[in-house]
Amino acid sequence: MEDKTGVFICTGYGIAEALDIEALCKVVTDDCSVPFCKTVESCEGASLQSIIEEIKNESLNRVIIAGISRRQYADHLFPDDVIVEMIALREHVVWCQPPGEEDTQMMAEDYLRMYITKVQKMQVLEPFQSEEEINKSILVVGGGITGITAALEAANAGYEVQLIEKTEQLGGWLAKQHKSIPTKAPFRDLEETGIDELITQINDNPRITVHTSANNSSISGAPGLFDVTLTSTGNGQPEGEKIDSFRVGSIIQATGWKPTDPRDHLEYGKVEDVIRNVDLEEIIKEHGRIIRPSDGKEVKSIAFIQCGGSRAKEHHSYCSSICCLTSLKQAMYLRESDDDAKAYIFYEFMRTPGLYEDFYRRAQDDPGVFLTRGEVAEVTRNGEGQLVLTAQDTMLAEEIQVKVDMVVLAAGMIPNAADGEAIRALADAKITIAKGESEAQQQAAEEKVEQLKHHEGTEILNLNYRQGPDLPSLEYGFPDSHFICFPYESRRTGIYPAGSVRQPMDGSGSREDATGAALKAIQCVEMTSRGEAVHPRAGDKSYPDFNLQRCTQCKRCTEECPFGVLNEDEKGTPLLQATRCRRCGVCMGACPERIVSFRDYSVDIVGSMIKAIEVPDEYEEKPRILALLCENDAIPAMDLAGQHRLQSNPFVRVVPVRCLGSVNFVWITEAISAGYDGVILIGCKYGDDYQCHFIKGSEIASARSDNIREKLEQMAMENERVELHQLQISEYERIPEIFNKFMEVIEEYGMNPFKGM
Amino acid sequence: MTTPLADSGKPILVEPDLDFIRAIRDHGGDSLKKCIQCGTCSATCTITPDHDPFPRKEIAWANWGMKERLFASPDIWRCYQCNDCSVRCPRDARPGDILNIVRRECIQHYAFPRFLGRWLNQPHHIPLLLGIPAALLALTMVVRDPIESVLGIEKYDSQHIIYSYSSLFPHWVLNTFFLSLTALVIITFVISVARFWSAMKDAASHERIAKPQKNLFPSIMSVLKAVVKHDKFNLCDDAKSRFLPHFLLVFGFVSLVITVTWMVTARYNPVILIDFKYPLAFLNPWKMLANVGGIAITVGCLLMIRDRLRNSGRAGFGNYFDWSFLLNVLIVALTGFAAELMHYLRLEPHRHVVYFVHLVFVFTLIIYMPYTKFAHMVYRTAALVFIEHFGMNSDEPDSPAGNRSCGKPEVMDDVQETATV
Repeated sequence: MEDKTGVFICTGYGIAEALDIEALCKVVTDDCSVPFCKTVESCEGASLQSIIEEIKNESLNRVIIAGISRRQYADHLFPDDVIVEMIALREHVVWCQPPGEEDTQMMAEDYLRMYITKVQKMQVLEPFQSEEEINKSILVVGGGITGITAALEAANAGYEVQLIEKTEQLGGWLAKQHKSIPTKAPFRDLEETGIDELITQINDNPRITVHTSANNSSISGAPGLFDVTLTSTGNGQPEGEKIDSFRVGSIIQATGWKPTDPRDHLEYGKVEDVIRNVDLEEIIKEHGRIIRPSDGKEVKSIAFIQCGGSRAKEHHSYCSSICCLTSLKQAMYLRESDDDAKAYIFYEFMRTPGLYEDFYRRAQDDPGVFLTRGEVAEVTRNGEGQLVLTAQDTMLAEEIQVKVDMVVLAAGMIPNAADGEAIRALADAKITIAKGESEAQQQAAEEKVEQLKHHEGTEILNLNYRQGPDLPSLEYGFPDSHFICFPYESRRTGIYPAGSVRQPMDGSGSREDATGAALKAIQCVEMTSRGEAVHPRAGDKSYPDFNLQRCTQCKRCTEECPFGVLNEDEKGTPLLQATRCRRCGVCMGACPERIVSFRDYSVDIVGSMIKAIEVPDEYEEKPRILALLCENDAIPAMDLAGQHRLQSNPFVRVVPVRCLGSVNFVWITEAISAGYDGVILIGCKYGDDYQCHFIKGSEIASARSDNIREKLEQMAMENERVELHQLQISEYERIPEIFNKFMEVIEEYGMNPFKGM
Repeated sequence: MTTPLADSGKPILVEPDLDFIRAIRDHGGDSLKKCIQCGTCSATCTITPDHDPFPRKEIAWANWGMKERLFASPDIWRCYQCNDCSVRCPRDARPGDILNIVRRECIQHYAFPRFLGRWLNQPHHIPLLLGIPAALLALTMVVRDPIESVLGIEKYDSQHIIYSYSSLFPHWVLNTFFLSLTALVIITFVISVARFWSAMKDAASHERIAKPQKNLFPSIMSVLKAVVKHDKFNLCDDAKSRFLPHFLLVFGFVSLVITVTWMVTARYNPVILIDFKYPLAFLNPWKMLANVGGIAITVGCLLMIRDRLRNSGRAGFGNYFDWSFLLNVLIVALTGFAAELMHYLRLEPHRHVVYFVHLVFVFTLIIYMPYTKFAHMVYRTAALVFIEHFGMNSDEPDSPAGNRSCGKPEVMDDVQETATV
């Protein structure tokens, strides 16, 4: 089919009042030689329908609608084989520039030139089709409450589920509990855990295949194509023996938690009757009542000590959020067993989040429960065989002692997760040592091994990924994801951590989490089967194409990809696993050879857009700034700035990018060569509390900008002509300020001498 | 189970007394455990000394069943239950009400004999408790004639008295009865207060404040002055509703005590040189004083009852201990007036029945005084005297009292000072 480009210019929203529409049409028809240019009254309703009609009637396949921001349109309005681009004349031009001014008109004309170039360079998308059939079954790793719930949810939604549990039976920690904290209003009474009923449901569900005593010793492939090998954990069959292998589409990591080990903390491990909360549950489960490990005597008084092994520098410094509730619950066990029993709870902070406050009040109201803030200094055994506990800084405002039969330390939660990146770094360091390279390299590698050796053998998922066998971790060993904005998301596409492995949580939280993760896993297999991207570019049908003939095996793409999409062959050539890809374009920004491109987004397309504007002569005193704005936060922020009618600088030309990580720095040198006076990059916040939708994009861009300085130096240009800013969507009002400040810097250095060359 | 008293420097072994906690909860203190030790109560209290504030720590002790601590604390008797703290408590733990119940427990704890302390708190003992004075009075009616004839006591009805209650209970009977019972009450009080005093002293010595700072007599005088003036009541937010009824009751009691003393001693008292004639005329100044006192008591009681019913959030609804005493006083006053009125109206023979009932309740009020709320008069006075005597009222940080554990945040002092400025 022959290419036919069409431009629709909207005259509504005050656009016609602010701009010379006729002159705009002239730019389209004369400068850009696009004969089809029409004006429409608006971009909505009947006008929008007429545009769609026109596209069909005129057989247009490259279309520009110059009117309102892309974000104002619904999805799937236009046929798949038509390339449609929108110019936000309203938000980015007329609402933030003075009407009728020459500069305003020039800005609108430049945008038309840029987008006409863009649509003419873009190719129609063809979604990625795997040679093999996409598998839609779901693997759940871990048979605790999270895994069980996720398996049931996915199976009830019609998906086949493989459920792996490394121990002999399902149920996890919940099955080891005597009773559960209240899960519903009025949050007063302990409840049965209900785990047996759930296990029965699992066993009765024909869509769920349960593998107990099984370990996923290897997972290779990509979403829709994960190949899983199971080996025995040693119950029944010899340990390590292969028991099964199968293919799944996506994975829910519900590997749960293990209790903190408060060894050396208050005689734990030395005095027999000092136990952990999990041990107390086991005692009740086994004996039906609370007895002392040392002499089997029935326990009449317990001191609970909160933050056993957590929230201290020498331990795990985070709060596990459920240990306080567990101690209150266990205090109830004791009180229910004997009306004269006494439960003391010593805490630094009593934390019972949300409506659990009501459970706290209920426990507090019990005459035999004694709560105090306090620091337990020591636990000793007296002549009568009781434990004497000394606490300082109590609510009684003095140092107190209590005599108890048992001391229970409220152990916190450690995620059953491994740090994939650390394991990989450890393996790489070992390879370096084995290779026997230079002494300095050797030494660095040895230091690295020393530093990371505690990660040895900690693998949980055993992924066959270049970037490591497990999900990358955050500070405390929880899998890295933006757990507030995007729960269950991880940095490995198609793998969704849920439950306490993601964040310490109680049973109710785990069920909720499991349901959410099951939905994510279902979305993943469905979208993958259609060749679409998942979060955050959900539904994007583009995918990267690697022109490997020109690849120099520099490995920048495999290293920088935030999602571990690329494996490598022996030589280091990237091997694309397309269904892992999130389409951020970080590889495209990384590649010095520019061999990575998308059909609708490439170094050439953006570079051509940049060069499409008309740069005024040096003496006209009309500088030009190129602004590369991240589509996730900065572009919506720019829209918001327009909606708030914040007047912006007339010399800035905005080009949206998928992520700052996708910015190939050749664009910057090209822009400077083309006569732009400066380049500004605005992306998401990075660092420990990053907000980048692609985890590391803006951070990578910031690291790369060191290289650009070198280039600028070669061109005899000042470093200050390139700036990188971090911006949250809520900070839209900063945009004009950022532009104006940058313009002051440019004025200081004068106009770009390359203009007109 | 006992809680040793604080010994400076050493940790104290706490063994909570669950029965004590349950007792508080069962007698209207079910809010006890709601306390989160925020200290709003101590910050609010206008009576608490700055450097040894209450009631935060007292509520903590109650919460942990540390009854010995509380029973040895004079501080719990500083509180007049104005309930400024209860009204402001963010958890509705009602510290003011809790202290009231703790004082009840304290009275019971030091009561001699103890079983009477228990009985007075158990409604099912009412018939027995009323039956004892009733039976004793009835007994006097039986044994009076034989005794009179043996001792040769002159009967009144013929010449001296025209129309009175003496025919039923001659004065010698009542006087003997009253005086012996009063003596008994005083003895039990002396025993109880001695125990109380030594417990307070013991506790104080553990906290290094055992050295008296002021002589006993001036201490007693300054406390009595404060009691008469009711000045602490005026410190609270809602002082008026508490000040007036209590003041009326105290005034009424004092006037009746004076009148009764007068009446009992008049015949034998060489100082009183009047022609003593029963019954006193209505316009006799002594009679008038007694009537005004009776009215004060009645009005005071009614105001208190109204307050407890209509404004329980502020006044505290109270428990059996509070109500039994209040109603006893009211019944004494009302039956007294009824007997007087029926006397003037010559209502025979009903007036004798009413008079008998009146006497039963008067006796109840007096003989059980060490075990009812009435005893607070004695305990509070003792505690306040103790506080004066040992200089625990001082707000100086370097005073002995300042050494004691401080539960009031320092910052609050600043806030208060700023507020005053």
